Amino acid sequence: MLAKRVLILLSLFLILGALAIVPATAQDDMSEFVFAHAGPIRSMDAHSHWFISSHWLTNLLYDCLIWRAPEGGGYVPQAAHSWELVDDTTWRFHLREGATFHNGEPLDAAAVKWNIDRVRVEIDPQIPLWLQWRFVKDTIVVDDLTIDITTEEPHAYFENDVSFNGCELLPPQYFQEVGQEEFIRNPVGSGPYKLAEFSENDRYVFEAWDDYHSGRPEVDRVIYQVIPEPSAQVAALLAGQVDMIPSVPVPDRERLEATEGISLIRETANRMHHLRVRTQAETGAMSETYPGYEPATMDVNVRWAITHALDRHLLAEVQGSAEGRLARVCSYHPEGYADKYADPDVISDWYNPDLAREYLAKAGYAEGEGPTVYFDTMNVRDGGEKEVAEVVAAMLEDVGFTVDLTVRDTAAHFSEISTPGNNRDIMMTSLGCSVGLLPLFYQCSWEAPRYRACDAEWDAVAQAILTTHDFDQRLELWGQWWEHYIEYQGTVTLYEMTSVAALNTAEFDFTLRKDGWMTFRDVKLADGM
Amino acid sequence: MREFIITRFFQLIVTMFIVSLLVFLMVRLRGDPISIMAPPIFNEEQIQALRAAWGFDRPVLEQYVTFLRKAVTGDFGISFFQRLPAMEVVIDRMGNSWLLAAVASLIGLTIAVPLGILSALKRNSLLDFASTALASLGTAMPSFWLGLMLIIIFSVYLRILPSFGALEPKAIIMPSVTLGVGMAARLSRLTRSAMLEVLNQDYVRTARSKGLQSKTVVTRHALRNALIPVVTVFGLQLGWLLGGSVVVESVFAWPGLGRLMVESINVRDITVVQAGLFWFSLSFILINYALDALYMLIDPRIRIG
Repeated sequence: MLAKRVLILLSLFLILGALAIVPATAQDDMSEFVFAHAGPIRSMDAHSHWFISSHWLTNLLYDCLIWRAPEGGGYVPQAAHSWELVDDTTWRFHLREGATFHNGEPLDAAAVKWNIDRVRVEIDPQIPLWLQWRFVKDTIVVDDLTIDITTEEPHAYFENDVSFNGCELLPPQYFQEVGQEEFIRNPVGSGPYKLAEFSENDRYVFEAWDDYHSGRPEVDRVIYQVIPEPSAQVAALLAGQVDMIPSVPVPDRERLEATEGISLIRETANRMHHLRVRTQAETGAMSETYPGYEPATMDVNVRWAITHALDRHLLAEVQGSAEGRLARVCSYHPEGYADKYADPDVISDWYNPDLAREYLAKAGYAEGEGPTVYFDTMNVRDGGEKEVAEVVAAMLEDVGFTVDLTVRDTAAHFSEISTPGNNRDIMMTSLGCSVGLLPLFYQCSWEAPRYRACDAEWDAVAQAILTTHDFDQRLELWGQWWEHYIEYQGTVTLYEMTSVAALNTAEFDFTLRKDGWMTFRDVKLADGM
Repeated sequence: MREFIITRFFQLIVTMFIVSLLVFLMVRLRGDPISIMAPPIFNEEQIQALRAAWGFDRPVLEQYVTFLRKAVTGDFGISFFQRLPAMEVVIDRMGNSWLLAAVASLIGLTIAVPLGILSALKRNSLLDFASTALASLGTAMPSFWLGLMLIIIFSVYLRILPSFGALEPKAIIMPSVTLGVGMAARLSRLTRSAMLEVLNQDYVRTARSKGLQSKTVVTRHALRNALIPVVTVFGLQLGWLLGGSVVVESVFAWPGLGRLMVESINVRDITVVQAGLFWFSLSFILINYALDALYMLIDPRIRIG
């Protein structure tokens, strides 16, 4: 009797749970590319957040006006088939005739205006992208298929910035009709894929759109499946249940490379690790949190001691997949003087512990009695931060520093150190290399507490870079800017990271983008598939 | 029974009020969500504007009153990152967590109770030693490791089970076995010791001396009493399964509440954390009330008392 009752209770429990089971995706003959995304994935309202790994997905769903070429150094048409600089402050875009959103709503100049105005004007403070779009002064509909975008002053990196986060074109009529909440549940886009089904932050199934203006994509279905654990991602790839994983753990590389039908593909990730070194006491909350504290790194000789104490090749090895750099130059951006600041021999020579000790002596420290420096880092973000920080600390101690290293959970690092500007001497940062944003970070007008580094001369060069359309002239200015970057050593660059992904090459053909974006408009079926 | 329900209802109200206060304070102790939400290019003024837009610039007491007022109606606000009602995001995942917990419990109980009884009845036999060894192994084995081993065997080599997700019914097999094995290991030892204790009681000896069949003595007389501590621990385990099977949910990419909570805590998606903790606490309390009722079913003396 009792056993029966217990059994009935358990059965009821099971049935209640079973009601909630997610239905299986129908099996069919469609080609299907499954990408293991570590997550989390944010909202499908692409204007409502700045998280790049979620923009990887929205890039399939929405067209922008133009888009950054995968190999860098140029732009490709999307909703606009051509564009030109009309005068120093006006860019004209010519839209494709007959282009529509997935629901048939016309993708015309008025729709483009609505979208750019949505992200650039601080109407809704919950849309945090407007700051990136402040360069737009106005959007003017010339006719149904032509739109002008004007800027306050010449904007050298206009194409880069107009194809960045927030560039996604949403259908205005549909959005206004249903509202943001319903739109997020049933998003409609203009890109080569439609979002067929999804469960938030879990699985997103995109299906090829037959009527895409540039032709239907070759692969019928692209799926982003959230699998948080790297080891589980590897297992899923080996089991043939996913076709690509974005970041292969170092111990699994050899095994995956030896597996038939799977290849490792490598490309620069457009992300770097730097040491952010204190140059001004008044920046951020440090002086309030640690009253009277005077960072040793305010002395430029100490900063030079730090930069020469670091063996960047070894640090890159510790990180797992990176290449040493002396300055914030990523391979994706051709204006970075990569040959000068990424040359392995130059970087080898830069590592000079004796020179580091000399700089400490110049700063007034006796041999082996260097300053105590506080060093804050997150445990993991792009990978290896904790381990790299430990080796950095050892290298600094080797030349005479005393290092007080604090490793925090990443979120705690942001809320306690980075965002309020509580960094004292050294802080590990993980940053991208967008050339359009880079000079901004070091300008006097830049007020974000953790990055401010004001120098009037440098500021003027930055301003000139940002407002010079002529490429050669701009390149010359960049040369001056980098010299100051090296001289100042407020940001001690360590290396550029490399994506090491694994792909099911038996069925698919895909080349990684140089900007690190895992987006799959261009994924193709392998020969013979 | 009516008195039981009314008493428990008022206890539930008081407990949930305390839970709401703790949840509200604890998620704020973890740090400022705006620091994660704001793009790195925001300056302090812009961060303040964002903070004001989400209501974090108001006095904490005012924030709590607003939270409580809305929570009573089931409104926990909008998820910072999904931009959907937090409650909707949580409910989407709760079904999967309940299902996983139910199947894992079924597996755990199906193994633990018979094994515990047999071990007690055949004390110091080969079966008893084997079950003790298995239970030790099951307790010592980390669920993360067991999960990966199952994936390697059944997904990578045999290719008969999916290694992730909740897309098809068989996807639940490996995560539920992983959780169920751990539960079985703990409960089987408990069942064994509880049975041993009960089997030595006078009333069991009396039942045997009356000539009752061994099966009847065990199932009708001994098991009922032995089950009381087992049910108590099972209830705690079930609560843990509902909210704490994070590791297993991560290994198998099972879209459950535990994984959602960890992800939300990491990015300070406070509204989702609040809604999740609230529902988790409510589920936990309701399970305990259900167990109270189950005690009465198992042992009528509890009802009388």
